[in-house]
Amino acid sequence: MAKQYDILFRILLLGDSGVGKTCMLRRFTDREFDTGHISTIGVDFKMKTLEIDGIKVRVQIWDTAGQERYQTITKQYYRRAQGIVFVYDITSESSFQHIVKWATDVDEYAPEKVQRILVGNKSDEEPRRRVTREEGSKLAERYGMDFFETSASTSHNIDKSFSRVTELVLQAHKRDVDNLLGSLDDYLNKAGLDESGQDKVGSIQRVCGCARIF
Amino acid sequence: AVQCDVLLDDVTESRLLGLVEAAKEHIFIYTHRRMAITADDVSLEDVIPIDLDFAVVESSPEELVLVADTRVRVSYKDESLELKLPFGSHSRRFLGEVIRAWSDERARSSGPAPTDESPVLAVPQLGLRDNLIRCELLKNEDLYIYREHFFFLGTYNVNGQTPKESLRPWLSCTPDPPDFQELDLSKEAFFFNDTPKEMEWTKAVSDALHPDAKYALQVKLVRLVGIMLLFYVKKEHAEFISDVEAESVGTGIMGRMQGNKGAVGVRFRFHNSDVCVVNCHLAAHVEEYERRNQDYKDICGRLQFRQADPARPPLTIMKHSVVFWIGDLNYRISDLDAADVKDLIGKKDFEMLHAYDQLKRQIEEEAVFVGFAEGEIDFQPTYKYDTGSDLWDTSEKCRVPAWCDRILWRGKDISQRHYRSHMTLKTSDHKPVSSLLVVGQIKRVNGDSYKKTLEEIVRNLDKMENECIPSVTLSKREFHFEEVKYMAHQARTLSIVNDGQVPCQFEFIRKPNEATYCKPWLTANPPKGFIAQASADVDLEVFVNRTTAPDLNSGKQEMEDILVLHLERGKDYFISVTGSYLPSCYGTPIRVLCRLREPIRDMPRESLRQMAEKPLDIPKELWMMVDHLFRNAIKQEDIFQQPGLRSEFAEIRDCLDTGAADSLGGNHSVAEALLLFLDALPEPVVPFAFYRQCLECCSDAVQCEKVVSALPQCHRNVFNYLAAFLRELLKNSASNRLDVTIVTIFASLLLRSPTKQDLAEKRKAREFFQHFL
Repeated sequence: MAKQYDILFRILLLGDSGVGKTCMLRRFTDREFDTGHISTIGVDFKMKTLEIDGIKVRVQIWDTAGQERYQTITKQYYRRAQGIVFVYDITSESSFQHIVKWATDVDEYAPEKVQRILVGNKSDEEPRRRVTREEGSKLAERYGMDFFETSASTSHNIDKSFSRVTELVLQAHKRDVDNLLGSLDDYLNKAGLDESGQDKVGSIQRVCGCARIF
Repeated sequence: AVQCDVLLDDVTESRLLGLVEAAKEHIFIYTHRRMAITADDVSLEDVIPIDLDFAVVESSPEELVLVADTRVRVSYKDESLELKLPFGSHSRRFLGEVIRAWSDERARSSGPAPTDESPVLAVPQLGLRDNLIRCELLKNEDLYIYREHFFFLGTYNVNGQTPKESLRPWLSCTPDPPDFQELDLSKEAFFFNDTPKEMEWTKAVSDALHPDAKYALQVKLVRLVGIMLLFYVKKEHAEFISDVEAESVGTGIMGRMQGNKGAVGVRFRFHNSDVCVVNCHLAAHVEEYERRNQDYKDICGRLQFRQADPARPPLTIMKHSVVFWIGDLNYRISDLDAADVKDLIGKKDFEMLHAYDQLKRQIEEEAVFVGFAEGEIDFQPTYKYDTGSDLWDTSEKCRVPAWCDRILWRGKDISQRHYRSHMTLKTSDHKPVSSLLVVGQIKRVNGDSYKKTLEEIVRNLDKMENECIPSVTLSKREFHFEEVKYMAHQARTLSIVNDGQVPCQFEFIRKPNEATYCKPWLTANPPKGFIAQASADVDLEVFVNRTTAPDLNSGKQEMEDILVLHLERGKDYFISVTGSYLPSCYGTPIRVLCRLREPIRDMPRESLRQMAEKPLDIPKELWMMVDHLFRNAIKQEDIFQQPGLRSEFAEIRDCLDTGAADSLGGNHSVAEALLLFLDALPEPVVPFAFYRQCLECCSDAVQCEKVVSALPQCHRNVFNYLAAFLRELLKNSASNRLDVTIVTIFASLLLRSPTKQDLAEKRKAREFFQHFL
């Protein structure tokens, strides 16, 4: 049987306090939903195993404190993430407006190649909606992000959005590895001209080692 | 064996590892040249026995970004090696073996009693997840594996007739459609070219198959003229059938050439089982049972199936895990005349008849069909009837009825659901026989259920893993300290309760761009710890000293901090700590104090930074203390030598900061409070900028005077005021027993070094100050 996980990624949930980050995470990993809101004061994480394109991916999803006063501290967690899920609450205009600020922070603190998606949570609360789908999707488009409206309460789009961000991270990672292998090939081609066969075998084996990740 | 890298300090060197069993297992470590092709390329470097002094622990990579090479620490007694094994199943298997050897060793030594807890905790996690999943899959096999497959076997000697009636009563007699149908439609006639009849019978069979399922005809075998084998399978199973082969043999002298006696066989692979169906027609006549036995042996020996791989030997019937044997075996009932047989049949005393059945006898004598099973026959003989009726043979020969048509099987986990004849069919002089067999040995994996089961297992494992993430609850998330005063210690207890399922290690960690885990006025005691179960208490202590007071007094800093409590391999908790600090003259610059006409605590915070009022000559707090000492303690014995009382210091500080009482307290306490005041000044009486200058001119009294006269006014005032006070004290040294040490004390407070003061500097500072006494 295949190994149960081939790769591990970190994904970070960002957004204002109360938009439902913790609920999304619980829904995704435990299939549970609590209506009561307890502010996350700190940084929590859960593991989840996904299979994407036949590759078993383990994701560590980080749930961060949304409250403003903790933001200077939570920023230090950005740099460890490969994927970011920006979350706002469709019933809260301010949480939507703050996405710009969150995105700016990410630009500043997260790794350059971090993959991002935008999520408008609480899609089940249609009567209280303050942010239209179009506004959300427009903002996502501006940032070049995929957009989902989700509901941790009904589970709508929860799996889909997390899977999507993981897929994006995986693709980006593949590109990275391909580039790396490409440059290794170049190196080998050059090195092959003046190196003895013995050493070359060693190098080629090393390349194969890298390639086996997929 | 496996290749790995050994990390030696900063150098990484390649080694080969081998796991060798010799009484005990050992890890052999070899150095090697290049690719290590022959034995000459390697040489043994070290041997590590795997016994109780051995340990292997997988180091978890700090950044769990990619699953990279596996790092393990192998230790033996005091030595340890850091190894890096290349990513892949090979390494994993090797480590698995090492761990198995290690745990066997421990199991051996610890005996049946469970070992103590610590080695259990240290059990490495290598491949644990994969093993768990495999284990769970096996345990839950029933959820995704079907084990019951129904095989419908039928044999019907049609005696060269054309189909005249529906075969449904025979072929669709089961309530549920069977998975497989293997049918023998043999006919007792020599016809070399009988194609039309085959077509007719095939159609008749197809029409009569169980209507509740769709079948695909897999094999149609017409061989040896007279033997026809049809093999149907439910459509859904068709894709799992592979390696289908068919063979036939003729038996007897004639048979080898052309005969109508012999066998056809078909074999196929279905999931994990090899199935073989043999349909035979054995030699006729009552007395020929030994020939029939011979035919059977002949068939078993000669019926062989080629394998896909021509290099492999052909498969015989007995090599199959499931064998069905059907057909007109032609064994008769002997040693009874027709009338007796018919009588027993009439009484339905089949049991008695069995004793005369040749096949039963021969099987009992192990002369034929060894290892085969046959179900209980509780139907009347299927041969010989007058065609078109249920009447026994009325022809001249008036044959004795017999169970010619039989169905036998061989293999594990096979049981019979029914074994019967079908009397309603009257086309032939034989009656058809059918048997429904349940084969339990075939494990068919249901793709969807398998996926579902696997997902469920993975989800449960994720859940378990998430539950095993260290977790705690904190007694409080926010701590507020009221009325924090200078040099007044306050503490609150933070209880950390381990509510997770694993022991946890906690530590307060640094925040970005900060040197320590918390502000200097705060400490957490202990700052790290281990909670096996239950809970741990951490004291959060607030203490403002001369270093932290200045910024808090001036309001440049608020008393607030967020502690990050990190659990190893777990989450982080934020704990906010705030305090309302009461500003104090302690730690407030002379310059500022001189402008405070009111007690410091009565002043609005902002005003401490921007005051335009005409300043006082010296800080009133300083005056209060010196005046108190001047009035009360000028003759006090051991003044400035004996320490004050802590409680009195608190009162003095409050008096100074609030301007409350007139009497400050005990002389010794006031004296010490004065020294503390000077010590806490952010800028000493002789400002840091003048320090060097003072030391350089310390031998020259005039120069010293000059330096002092250059000090900022308030500082100069304080300097002169204190010098005058000391002179007064020294005048009374007869009573207060003051000596030169007081000069040293004051000198070191008035002339503080911006860095660390050494002995020579101390001496010079005293020399400088001496000029003013």
